[in-house]
Formats: sequence, C-alpha cells, structure tokens
Amino acid sequence: MAVQINGFDDNKRRISTQKLLQQIYAALEQGETSFEVLSSGHHDIGGPLWTSDGAPLAFTVKNPGQRVGSFGLDGTDILVEGSAPADAGWLNAGATLTIKGDSGDTTAHCAASGKIFVAGQVGTRSGSLMKHDPAFSQPELWVLRKTGSFSFEFMGGGLAVICGVDCEEFDSVLGDRACMGMVGGTVYVRGPVNGLSDDVWLVDLDQADQAFLQAGLPEFLTRIDRSELLDTLSDMGQWKKIVAKTYEERNAKDRISIREFRLNKWVEGGIFGDIVKDDYNHVACLVNSGDDRLKIPHWMEKRYAAPCQSSCPSFIPTQDRLKLLREGKETEALQLVLRYSPFPGSVCGMVCPNLCMDACSRRFLDTPVSMKQLGKLSIDIPAPACAADTGKSVAVIGGGPGGLSAAWQLRLQGHAVTVYEADRHLGGKLWQVIPTERLPAEILEKEIERILSIGVKAELNCKIDRALFDKLRQQHDAVVIASGAHNPVVIPFPGHERLVKGLDFLKQINAGERPAIGDRVVVIGAGNAGMDVVLGAYTAGAKKVIAIDVQRPAAYQKEIDHVKSLGGEIRWPVYTEKISEKGLHTKDGELIEADSVIISIGERPDLSYVPTEWLTDRGMMNVNGCWQIKTGQERIDNVFAIGDTTRPGLLTNAIGHGHEAADYCSDFLNGLEIIERKKPEVIPQHRLSKELFRPRNRGRLQVNDAREETTRCISCGTCRDCSFCLEACPEAAIRRIEKEDGSFEYVSDAHLCIGCGICSGICPCGIWTMEQVV
Amino acid sequence: METIKIHDTTPNDLPWKIVYDASRCTLCGSCVAACSFRAIEPKIEKRRMVFSEGDLPDPRARFSAVPVIKQVNSLKNYCRGCGICEKVCPNDAIRPVRNPDTRHPIVTRCIGGDSIKRGGRKNLTGSTRTLDQLRVGRISQMTDPSLDAQRHTFDMLAPFGRILPAKDLPLAVGPDGKLTTTGQAPPVNWIYPVIIGDMSIGALSWRMWEGVAMAVAYLNEECGLPVRMCSGEGGVPVRLLKSKYLKYLILQIASGHFGWNRIIKAMPDMVEDPAGVLIKIGQGAKPGDGGLLQAQKVAEHIMAIRGVPKADLLSPPNHQGLYSIEESVQKMFLSFNAAFKFRVPVAIKVAASATSVSVFNNLVRDPYNIVGGFFLDGIDGGTAAAHEVSLDHTGHPIVSKLRDCYLAAVQQGRQGQIPLWAAGGLGKTGDLAADAFKMICLGANGVFSGKLILQMAGCVGNDMGRCNACNTGLCPAGITTQSPALAHRLNPERVAENIVNYFLAMDQELKKMMAPIGNSSLPVGRADALVAVDQAVANRLKIQYVC
Repeated sequence: MAVQINGFDDNKRRISTQKLLQQIYAALEQGETSFEVLSSGHHDIGGPLWTSDGAPLAFTVKNPGQRVGSFGLDGTDILVEGSAPADAGWLNAGATLTIKGDSGDTTAHCAASGKIFVAGQVGTRSGSLMKHDPAFSQPELWVLRKTGSFSFEFMGGGLAVICGVDCEEFDSVLGDRACMGMVGGTVYVRGPVNGLSDDVWLVDLDQADQAFLQAGLPEFLTRIDRSELLDTLSDMGQWKKIVAKTYEERNAKDRISIREFRLNKWVEGGIFGDIVKDDYNHVACLVNSGDDRLKIPHWMEKRYAAPCQSSCPSFIPTQDRLKLLREGKETEALQLVLRYSPFPGSVCGMVCPNLCMDACSRRFLDTPVSMKQLGKLSIDIPAPACAADTGKSVAVIGGGPGGLSAAWQLRLQGHAVTVYEADRHLGGKLWQVIPTERLPAEILEKEIERILSIGVKAELNCKIDRALFDKLRQQHDAVVIASGAHNPVVIPFPGHERLVKGLDFLKQINAGERPAIGDRVVVIGAGNAGMDVVLGAYTAGAKKVIAIDVQRPAAYQKEIDHVKSLGGEIRWPVYTEKISEKGLHTKDGELIEADSVIISIGERPDLSYVPTEWLTDRGMMNVNGCWQIKTGQERIDNVFAIGDTTRPGLLTNAIGHGHEAADYCSDFLNGLEIIERKKPEVIPQHRLSKELFRPRNRGRLQVNDAREETTRCISCGTCRDCSFCLEACPEAAIRRIEKEDGSFEYVSDAHLCIGCGICSGICPCGIWTMEQVV
Repeated sequence: METIKIHDTTPNDLPWKIVYDASRCTLCGSCVAACSFRAIEPKIEKRRMVFSEGDLPDPRARFSAVPVIKQVNSLKNYCRGCGICEKVCPNDAIRPVRNPDTRHPIVTRCIGGDSIKRGGRKNLTGSTRTLDQLRVGRISQMTDPSLDAQRHTFDMLAPFGRILPAKDLPLAVGPDGKLTTTGQAPPVNWIYPVIIGDMSIGALSWRMWEGVAMAVAYLNEECGLPVRMCSGEGGVPVRLLKSKYLKYLILQIASGHFGWNRIIKAMPDMVEDPAGVLIKIGQGAKPGDGGLLQAQKVAEHIMAIRGVPKADLLSPPNHQGLYSIEESVQKMFLSFNAAFKFRVPVAIKVAASATSVSVFNNLVRDPYNIVGGFFLDGIDGGTAAAHEVSLDHTGHPIVSKLRDCYLAAVQQGRQGQIPLWAAGGLGKTGDLAADAFKMICLGANGVFSGKLILQMAGCVGNDMGRCNACNTGLCPAGITTQSPALAHRLNPERVAENIVNYFLAMDQELKKMMAPIGNSSLPVGRADALVAVDQAVANRLKIQYVC
C-alpha cells in the first residue's frame, strides 16, 4: 500500500516544495518504498533517494513541478500520470521515469543513466548534454512524438529514440537546428528531419541498431500504454539514426579549396591574365636559381680599367704587362708598352711622376708595384713592326713628346709621317728643359733613335709660319699640331723686367750654358717646372734657392723632396709686391734677398701660324673630344691639336694625347667615321678583394726582381685566373672554359646559380659583376 | 691602415645591425641570394695573428683570408630588419638586430637633403592604444539572456549606402491596400562590417591584389560572408570589371583619378554593378598628402592601366576641382551616383581630423540622398609610401573622432542615416574582431582595414620599424612589389586562404563578443557594453569608467 503524499494542507492550501519533500523523506525513514504523490507543481520529486537495503522505490506522481525525477537513482521508478513541465529527468542518474503525457523543455537534460519514457512530445533543448559514464549503463530517452527545437545540443553520450508518431505535418520531428555541438551518443529518429547541425551525420540503421529498437520498443510502448503501435514502429525502414561526427571528421573542412575555386570558379586565366604574364602554379622560394634570382653574375673581364692604367695619361695597361710577365712572356710584356708610348724609359722610367704608382691598389696593402723600373726595362726593346704603308702622309708640327708620340703611332699604323721641329734636336722639352740629372741624354737618344728607326722623318730647325702651315696642309693628308708652349708667363710686378724666365733659363742650362744668377736665387712658382728651375739654379752654382708660391705647391712630393735635399726651401703662401735689385719684396713687406729672381709659373703656346678662329679666347687650340680642331659648331676633320697647345699638362699627358689623336687621325686617313672612344672607368676599390693578398712587411720589402713584383700586382679588373670563384661558389655553378686561341673565361650556369654574389664578393680582381634584377 | 672617416656610414649609423657568426656559416649564399635590399654582401675578411712560440722572442705571423657575409655600409641599401636572412639561414648564423643607437633619421636627411619616405604604419611607440583601454564590460547574465555564439543566428550586416528614415522612404499604400514604391530609394548594400581597405594595384603586386580579390569572392560565394574590398585608386583589371565578381568590389576614386578611363570604357560590358564607389579625399596614414607610387613600382601593366609613363606618381593632396564640402557633395557625389544611374551607393573617405565633425555634419544634411557613407580614417593606418614625418606625426586618432561623429548624429536624431565606417590602426595587435567590435559599440557601422590584410598575406613588417619598405618596390614577401622575381615569392592562393581563414576566425570572434552582450545584430552605438579602465578615456568617450 503506497503512502500518500499530499501537496496540500488541511486547508487545501498548497504546501511548499520543501514541506512536500520532507514528507517523502519522513516516510522513507519509516521504511516506506511506494509513494503516491499529489503534487501541485512541486519541484524535484523522485530523487536522489535510496533505501539502506537496496529495495526499489516507486513513485506515482500527479501534476508534478519542474525537475521531476531529477538526480534519480537506480531502483527508483517514477510514473507521471499526465504531463510534466521542464527539466523532467534532469541529471537522471539511474531512475526510470515514465511520463504519460508531454514533457516540457530540457527533458533529460544532462541525463547520464536510467531511462525516460515520454508518451507525448518533449520541449525545446530536450536531451541536451546527455552523456554516458562508461561505469554505468547508458541513459535512454524514449519519446513517442517529437522534440522542440535545439534538441540534443552538446549531447555527449546516451541513446534517444524519437518515434515521430502523429507528426506528419511537421518539417522536422527534432525541431530546428537539432544536435548542435553534439559529440557523442545516438539519436534514433523516425519521421522528417531538417535543419540538423553540421556536427552530425544522419545515417541508416545497422543490425545492432535494429536489435536495440526491437528490444526496447515493446517495453516503451507498454509503459505508455500504446502497445498497438508496435507493428507500425517496428518497420525499421522508417528509422534513421543521428551520430556525431568524429573529432577528425569535425575538423575536416567541407569547403572547396582555394585552388579549386581559382581554377573552376574564378575569372578564367586570372584578372591580370591579359596584362601580366605569370603562372600562379609557380611559387618561387626565397632562394632561387634561374629567372627568379635577384642578381645575376657576369664575368666581365676588363669591364673596368686598373687604377694604374686609368690614372696614366698615356693609358698604359701596366696590369697587362705584369700579367704577361707572370705568364713568363717577357718580350711581349716589355714590347706592350711601346704600343702606348715611345718613351717608356725616358718618361715612365725617369721623369714621369708615375701617377700609375700613386693610384696602384697595392698601396693600400704595402707599397705600389714598382712601375718606374718596369719602364726602364723597355729602353732597349726594338720597335714593333709597322703596318703596311697606307700611302697617306701626315705632318706633325713639333718634335716634343706629344708630336713624337703621334708620329710614332701614326707610323706604326702604316702612314708616312714627317715631324717639323723648330729646334735643332728632337725631344722638345724632354731635351730642352729637363735637367740631365733627371734624364740622362743617352736614354733619350736611344728612344728618339727608336722612333726614327721605324721611318718617322724629321725636319729640324723648321720654324712654322702661316704660309708654311698652309703649305703643309696641302702637302699632307692630315696635320697634327704639337708645337707645345714656349712663351713663359710673366706677371707685370714692378721690376718685372728684372725677372729671369724659367723656361729660357732651363733651356740655357740644358744647352750647356751656365747663366750668371748669383748665390741667392728666388724662384716664383713651386710647381714641377719650378722644381726643375731650382735644380737648374743649383746646377748653375747658386748657394741658396727659395721657391715661393701663392698656394700649396703643385709639385709632386718626390720633386719637392729632391729640392729640399739640395738645401732648397719652399715657402707658401707668399704674394709678390715687387722685384728690386735687392730681391723680392712680398706684400707683407718682407724682403727676400736674391741676386736673381726666376719666374716659372707656366708657358703659353705660340700659335700665330694658325687661323685665329681656331683658338679659344685664352689663345689655346680649340679641340673636340677627338682632338680635332673646332671652329664654332664646325670641325676640321684633318687637323688635330694636342699637348700644351690645348691645355697645360705633363709630358705623359702629351704622349697620351698624341696616341689618341693618332688613332683618330688614322681612322680619318682610313676613311672611317671618327667617333669618340670612351675609356673604361677605373675599377672602384671596393670591388677588389685585396684582403686575399698578404701584405709584405714594408720594413723588409725590397724591389730587386721584376718577376717578384708581378706577383704583388692585384691585377685590378683583369682576371688573374686564380679560380677562387670556382671553388667558393656554393652551388658549384662556375666553370672555366679554355678557348681555342688560348684565352679563357669563367661562366656561371644560370640553372644552378642562385645569385648569391659570392663570386663577385670574393673575386680579388673585381671581374665578377652582379647584374641587379631586382 | 683603415681609411675610415667620421662621415663614412657604418652599421652603427643604420637602424638595423646584422649579427653574423662566421663559425656557423657554411657560405651557402642563401642569405645574400634572398636579401632583396642588397643590405648584406659576401666579402673577404683578413685574419692575422702575430705570435711567438719559442722560449725566446721569435716573431711569427699567421695570415689567412676568408669569405664572410658583411652588412653593407650604405644609406641606400640598408638593412630593414625584415629577417629574411635569418629565415633562410640553415645554421642560424645571421640575423638582424634593432640598433637603438641608430643615426639613420639624422644622417639620411643630412646626406639626401630629402625627406625620408617609407611604408607601413606609425612607428612611434610608447603610447597605449585607446581601444586597449576598453573592455566589453557589460555581460548579460542573470539580468537578461546572453546568446550562444555558436548556435545563435546573428545578423552581421552593415549598411553601405544612404539609409532613409521610414517616413522618407518612397513608399505608399496603393488603392488595393498594398505597399507600392513611389520613386527610387537610395541604394544600400548590406555587407559584412569589415571592408578590406583600399590598396591599389600599383601599391600591391598583381599576385597580392588578385589573392585579395579571390579571397573576397570566396568568402562571398563559399562561406556566405558578404565581405567587400575597395579597389584603391589606380585602376581595376578590366577582366574583373567585366566579371560577376565586380559586385564584391567597391571602386575608388581619388585625386589622381588613375584608372577611371578603363572603368568607364568597361561599363557597357559590366554584368554586375560594383558594390559601391568610395571617393577618397584623404588617408589617415598620411593626412594632407596624396598618393605616392614611386617609379620603381610603376610596372608595365600599371603604366597601361593608369595611362602614365614610368615616373614617381603623385596623386595631389586635394581633388583639383573641389574647393568646399558643399562642392564635394554636389559634384563628386552626384557624378558618381550618376555614373551608375543611382543604383550604386557612393561614400566618401576622409582622414580623421579635428574638423571631422563639421564635415560629417555637413554631409548628414544630404538633401539629395546621395551620401552613402562616411569613411573616417585615423592615424595608425598603413600606407605603401609616405613621408615618414607624415606617417609618424600627422593625423588624428580614430576612436574619439568616430565617437564624436556618431554622437553628433545622435544629437540630431540622424544616427544611422549616413553609415559611419572607421579605420586607422584597427587590428594593430592582430585582433581585428576586438577592435571592430569596440568601434561598432562606439558608433561605427563597420570598419575597414588594409595593413592587417598585408600581414595576413605574409608581410613581415611591424610597427617597430621592421621592414616598412613597401615604398621601395623591394618587398621581401612579394606583396608590395612589381618585380617579378619578388612577386613570384607570393602564393596568391595562400594569400586568399589566409584572408579567408582570418575572416572566418574573426567572424566567430565577433559573435563571441556579440553573444555576451545579448546582441544578435551589430551593436552599433551600444557604448553601454563598453567600460574604460582609464578615467580620461571614459570621460572623453562618454562611457563607464571601471577599475
């Protein structure tokens, strides 16, 4: 006989949930196990309750409140006669709950064990968060009709059976958006299903599923008194089941890939396909070979000039001379210079300030390669053979270094050349004014002989005037004006008539005279010519020579050192006020006592024999870049002017001009178009890996072997064939190719090269050059 | 003897120094092959040791010369800190480190006699971002139901176009009792609240631009996210103009009017209307400055589309024909509304400024219903090229200015009529959803972002001076370059994929913030959802201060 639990007091007033539950607890204490509860919406009826001996508990409940059967334990059987509101079977832990009517929202919410049978439908979010603790049996939820929306959200385990009875008019027996976030468990469903979440699969039953339903349906239908439906519901073909996607399936994207999108849906050929050529299937690495390199190496032999050659006004390729010497080709090496200058001994070897050595890259390591000595080695080398006679003839006016250089080159190229010299001897200032202690006459003689030996004709004591000049132009196919500058410049200080002109003085000295200049001499002008004058003054017997200048002396240090070693003195800045019989008076009021004052501040050319429109407003020859005479916009194709007639310069400048003018003149004579040739630019020092050369200890370094000097040469801009690039290339992309003519080149394979620039960065000679693609 | 002089540039002077470990280097050449800035080079280094090993002084010298990688001492080819060398080095032998003692800002000006230019964003550090002082502090819990971000249906749409109040809509009840239209309503496109900001085809490599365009199409077609991108000024590929994907593109017109010739010529062949037109008056990253495409980036296809020769392409700071706000409205808005027969919404973009509210108020009157949006761009936004002084020092922060504009509209009862879109360093921390959400709560209808898109695509730059070389055309990621060898580094499919994934993630994150405040549509102006942890910020933005 079941104990009666009444939700109303004696006055028919509803008692609180707490009081009703206390009645149940009290009855249970007294050993009651069967309860009939007349509720009025009281919550939480049915659990968690148990008996000490494990005897089962039975509840029959009318009109329960929320959470009927919540926390229900094994052995508890609850029957709700009619419907139940929300949360029926909430956190069910083993009870059997049968609801004869409908059940409210969140039925079986978080149920983890036991069984819940509902004869009608269940509300929204029913079955949500059901789960299965493997230590106990699975929770079950059986519903005859359908669920509300959002059912089985986050379901983690357990079984639910939604029979779909009398639901034909609904879109879905699971409401909208069922099974959102479902990760486990199974929902068996009969009837239409729509709006399922993406987290689950809707699939057919297998044998085990059918067995489960066939076993369970009779009990369910019996409990809810609907056994007549057994046949209908036993048609397994009407059932489906919903299972959660696995963890892996859940993470798999079902969208098409971007690639598929691009190839199948996107604008065909790409939106830039009509204006940019590109293959998107090719994605470059950060390091690439071939076309995606950021830089491309090129082996550029002689792309740049060596500093020695570039600084040499005669453009003598000393690096090539040294290379030939390194290769053991001594004759070729010593002959090579004659292609650039007929005066390797006199000029390079003796009087030249050797700008080549000042520029030599080796100076950054120890000392420049000794090029002066190299020049001297060519004094006795015979002239190269001349080209076949062309039948053309050239008049060269002036037999100084410039004129003879032009004559030499023209003759070597097969033209007939006549040099017209005003003096009685060839050589110009080399012969006239350079002190013999700086240039022994026999060396100069040998080199002049060599010039004459190839057939250059000379007319000595031939002073040119306008008439003769015009005649020469008619007689010859071309004329080279190289008459130098021989009119000393004099500044009209008070007393300037007392000045001795430096050039005249030096000419006298070299002619063997000893002009009377006294013991004390002042030289105005401390350039290189001024230093020569100082030397001349000592030669002429002076005791004390002072050179003055208004600015830092322009003479080369070695000339200055020489002068000082003789006791000479150089003072600057000193401004001359006047010259008197006492000497030179400065603007500061000082008197520098002197028996003679010699002025050596340069010379101007005497060009009275050419038309005045050929001259610049400074009275020099007006020439273009090819040394041709310019008159306004016009040029005179067959008249060239060089050396001091165009601008003051060194001997080696005149030699260089002569060479260049001769080449242009020869082009003219050969009927070629005359186009100015650009010399290669000097190699920037940073391109050379000089660090690869071990510096010699200057304290021990002595130059006494030409061959040893050749190894010190860095070979700037000219490959020294060390193959460092070939070794260092990380991709082994560089090969050395030997050609039939004995020459060689290094090449980099574009298919292997990654454009790292190591070849360029380590090349001692600066040959490898990186072309910047990016 | 070294011949270094005091005025010679050395790595000490440069913003980044290369740290190199010769003992780890195999001279594989990868770093020097990959560095697009020519900032490192292979060189020979001397090693010299003088020693004595005997019992007596016995001088010996050991000499060797070894190839190494050295930093280039150049103010032109200087290291930008992009870290590509570090990335490719198999042995961890090389990396750039920031040089706190750099003299770069001084010597570059001293030597160049020209302003410093770069790309990127404001690089001045030290200030806390206003948006980081805000929290979404109103969480719906016991008071009202919060939403479940994963299951709830959210309306994530923002308007691009002129919104009319209901009473002004051209609607009437017909004789049959049904609603009929009595005229043409201004066009409005309801789009995702994050627009991909305007980056031109000159600024970006073609691979990058196409990758972005593909991402946008994919987000729309495959993911259902109605994201729009703005073309930037400088032309649009004709193939895109003639495709159905034009509907996802907002066309931009700026002061240079570059590329519009081809747009106009393509009109008869267009199968879709564009998503909108954006008139660019100013840019937040460099207010008062026009576009600047440096000659090295003017590739052939750019010359063709823009109709210009290879040169530095400067868009004027101002539209040449506009002299006042009124004229802007009348001329530019009218012309671009008319261009597409009043079917396509037209908005305007200006740099945030102390005067923005006046400009906005003027537009809000809009008697012709042709102002389809007000895009406000604050400092901290990115650009491909600008004068550094503009980038770092000019401009106006976006947050308070956006708020001011919104509140000005509220005061007139006209909020929402001219949609407000905000930008300027949003997503700077990498978290665009948070920034966007806060801006929306402060009154923005949506936000737009450009620089972050580049970072999604693989940009290695940051706001602490790293890389920022978009202007040079030497972008190591292939993003802001027109050089084929560099552009080929970029995989346009990965660009698209990264952007798509970021947007999908951001979409979830936006919902994650909408849910707790209980909004299922965008919480435009719901400043009550925000709290400020800074009193001054709270006061300025008129939101609750909390501590």
